[in-house]
Amino acid sequence: MIQRRQLELWVGVFVAAGLLALAMLAFRVGNLAAGGVNNPYMVQAEFNDIGGLKVRAPVTLAGVRIGRVSAISLDPSDFEAKVTMELDGRYKTIPSDSSASILTSGLLGEQYIGLDPGGSSHYLKNGSTIQVTQSAIVLEKVISQFLFNFASKSGSHSK
Amino acid sequence: MSDAKTERGTGEALVEIRNVHFARGNRTILDNLSLTVARGKVTAIMGGSGCGKTTLLNLIGGRLRPESGQVLVDGVSVPVLRTRDLFELRKRMGMLFQNGALLTDLDVFENVAFPIREHKRLPEPILRNVVLMKLETVGLRGACNLMPAELSGGMARRVALARTIALEPMMVMYDEPFTGLDPISKGVIAKLIRELNTSLGITSILVSHDVADTCAISDYAYLLGNGRVIGEGTPREMQESSVAEVRQFMGGLPDGPVPYRYPAPDYLDDLLQGVRT
Amino acid sequence: MNSLRRLGRIVIDSVEGLGRASLFFLEVMSGSRKLFRRFELVVQQVFAVGVLTLLIILVSGLFVGMVLGLQGYNTLVKFGAADSLGLLVALSLVRELGPVVTALLFAGRAGSALTAEIGLMKATEQLAGMEMMAVNPIERVIAPRLIAGIIAMPLLAALFSAVGVLGGQLIGVGLLGVDSGVFWSQMQSGVSFHEDVLNGVIKSVVFGVVVTWIAVFQGYESVPTSEGVSRATNRTVVYSSLAVLALDFVMTALMFK
Repeated sequence: MIQRRQLELWVGVFVAAGLLALAMLAFRVGNLAAGGVNNPYMVQAEFNDIGGLKVRAPVTLAGVRIGRVSAISLDPSDFEAKVTMELDGRYKTIPSDSSASILTSGLLGEQYIGLDPGGSSHYLKNGSTIQVTQSAIVLEKVISQFLFNFASKSGSHSK
Repeated sequence: MSDAKTERGTGEALVEIRNVHFARGNRTILDNLSLTVARGKVTAIMGGSGCGKTTLLNLIGGRLRPESGQVLVDGVSVPVLRTRDLFELRKRMGMLFQNGALLTDLDVFENVAFPIREHKRLPEPILRNVVLMKLETVGLRGACNLMPAELSGGMARRVALARTIALEPMMVMYDEPFTGLDPISKGVIAKLIRELNTSLGITSILVSHDVADTCAISDYAYLLGNGRVIGEGTPREMQESSVAEVRQFMGGLPDGPVPYRYPAPDYLDDLLQGVRT
Repeated sequence: MNSLRRLGRIVIDSVEGLGRASLFFLEVMSGSRKLFRRFELVVQQVFAVGVLTLLIILVSGLFVGMVLGLQGYNTLVKFGAADSLGLLVALSLVRELGPVVTALLFAGRAGSALTAEIGLMKATEQLAGMEMMAVNPIERVIAPRLIAGIIAMPLLAALFSAVGVLGGQLIGVGLLGVDSGVFWSQMQSGVSFHEDVLNGVIKSVVFGVVVTWIAVFQGYESVPTSEGVSRATNRTVVYSSLAVLALDFVMTALMFK
């Protein structure tokens, strides 16, 4: 029979290794490290079309991740998508006239929100709304628009 | 109420079985059985294999409930006890199982310490002394670091006996304590049962089909057959009994009221049937 | 008519068995409350079901990860998406293979051992002996084992997944030449902690409950003979494997809509 101390030591090693593996899955394999936002403040924006934007999608400014999408809902009065973002408290000085657009990482990658800083001396604070927004580019719409333009152009040529 | 009072008051019967009926499925195992076990005595319960001896012990220990009848231990009716009270009662009665039932993952010392650790909070040095005393009683103090797998059958049973008396019970039930032992081990177990009875005053119930060894150490004996008592008395009375069943069992006669042959169709018919088809 | 009757009997028997198993589970759970004061009993069992299962889990995890690396690479490279290898390996392991394969191996290694151990304790009257010593075997023997199984399974599954990812990296980065940075960053951007890792952990906890429950129940209910114990051991492996696979489907359908 294995000695009690030795047994407890082994169990300790096992539990520690298991927790370490869990931590690795969370931080190294998963996105927990990237997903955390420190003392966040909430900002809202309304879009005509958010495409495939999901909750927890990143919010970036100049390509740097500064927050994430925390909620998405539909505004029933004007049928616009209302997106709530939580931004990192470290970035308090984003001009209030900044614009938000929904972008796609790579050709078919996930969608995220990119902020473009404006020039105002007022800053976004908890509860503010970003006024200028640009919706997601939906591939089907782009293609159909392109075809439509192409057709009408060739139509005018034939006239 | 007054009934229970007299039971306790007489100090005679520690265990009393009254008109107990027990069946498993359609098979009746105990049929209107009544017997008493006297306080401070060694009472043997003998009978052929499968006659319900072990069932009887389980009824006394509260592991089974009778369909009808009463099981009284120290004046308390066992079948109606709630789990907590039953466990309290069990601390005062030990049971030695056929093969010892030692916990295979603990060594001898820890096996004997097991019931004490579970029920009493003793400081380690005192616990150690208690365990060593119990092991000394059965002569196995030197074996305290062995594992159960390293013990012979007789030694395992002695360790189990030490464990059974660890909580200093008022009675011990022995389930087939002699089965499968060599003569020396048998002698040791018999001597221990008798000694524990005389020195500690432990009431003993000895279930066995081993006539000679059992009679040598018991004060009173019951013989069970077909779920009923078919004979009772002191060992001497039993051996001189004129009842046919008792004589067959005590003498180990191959044929008698318990037939040698299992019921079968006529021998000749049976053989001829094979020829015809 | 006779076969209909047999079918009815099978249905009634299995429903009855499920009922008994559920009551048994409740009894064990209520018996496990007392374990807070005697946690060393659980620690001993974590050793038996966890530490002793560790080696097979680590080795299997490594190989499964390496196979995923090879197979995934060969498929992805056809679409020019070999960069996503890390993501593929990690998602497969964290969501599915980690919890499921660990549970199946656990059933084969620890579950069968639990059933056999409890069955033999029953056959050698150790459980009855405890009862006669006024010790409840449900509290003393069964509950620590069930709790230990529930503790050990998620840890084992996490180790399996982690080692699997390393195995995938070994093959993908070391052998097939996927860039190490791309391998890990694709993985990180694609694997969500809340949706993938956490759901994988939830799965493995559920599997831990179910497999250990089946194992201790089969052991406790086994016919106390050597044949009965061997059949119970067999049933443990079969039932818990089926339960794991069926539950995995149900949970996947609920979690990853």
